[in-house]
Amino acid sequence: MIDPVPVALLALVLACALATAVLRDVLAAIIAFAAYSLGIAMIWVLLEAPDVGLTEAAVGAGVTTILFLVTITKTVRPPSEAIFESLDPKGLLVAVLIAGVLASTLGALPPVGSAETPVAQSEVTDYYLDNAYEQTEVKNAVTAVLAAYRGFDTMGEAVVVFAAGVGLLVVLGREVFA
Amino acid sequence: MTLLTDALLAAAGAFIILSVVIVYRIVRGPTMQDRVIAVNVVGTNTVVIIALFAAALDSPGVLDIALVYALLNFLMSIAISKFTVERGGVM
Repeated sequence: MIDPVPVALLALVLACALATAVLRDVLAAIIAFAAYSLGIAMIWVLLEAPDVGLTEAAVGAGVTTILFLVTITKTVRPPSEAIFESLDPKGLLVAVLIAGVLASTLGALPPVGSAETPVAQSEVTDYYLDNAYEQTEVKNAVTAVLAAYRGFDTMGEAVVVFAAGVGLLVVLGREVFA
Repeated sequence: MTLLTDALLAAAGAFIILSVVIVYRIVRGPTMQDRVIAVNVVGTNTVVIIALFAAALDSPGVLDIALVYALLNFLMSIAISKFTVERGGVM
């Protein structure tokens, strides 16, 4: 039996994504994208990934919308009154092909919450669950792995994000966050 | 699954279908103000739906996400509204 709630959520996300793609006015597309982000966050909550949902809330709904708005201040509105953008058949074909190739890998994914996956059966997982609290004194096992066991990896990620931010400020040639 | 869980999920489903209907207003417009109000309604729906999920899945931690959305949804609508009034005045 197919659960109706995820189906309705996916319909919402799909409708918002299509609206984002085909709307001609850029501001309207940004608004549709914000609605898309709201739908995605609900899917994360339903899949019981609240930390990802929280990140989606902060980044997807808050920061991205404002960044897009700042970006389009440099643009001008198209004079046409048409609501929808005319679709380029070649671009559409490429997009559908890429989506098809990605979708063909879906069958290889394990079901959600399956006990048969390498992650659930690996000895490393058991080691983390048994020793994470004693060794790091962090109550959340995921946080313990990210911040303690893979601390250098996380620091490398932070360096990459910081370098990207510095590079952006240099390219823009001015202090944006003043 | 108890009757209460089913009722909570059914209510969440009704709100989701309402959001799908509102997407029509986002697409159709006709003015930008209609779209801002529409995305605000979707955002408010999201807060209610996530709260219903929190009750249905019996995980009160999820309520934090609903709170964050209640705050950010307001911010998002203000940003877009300000942008439509004075183009470029987002910050």
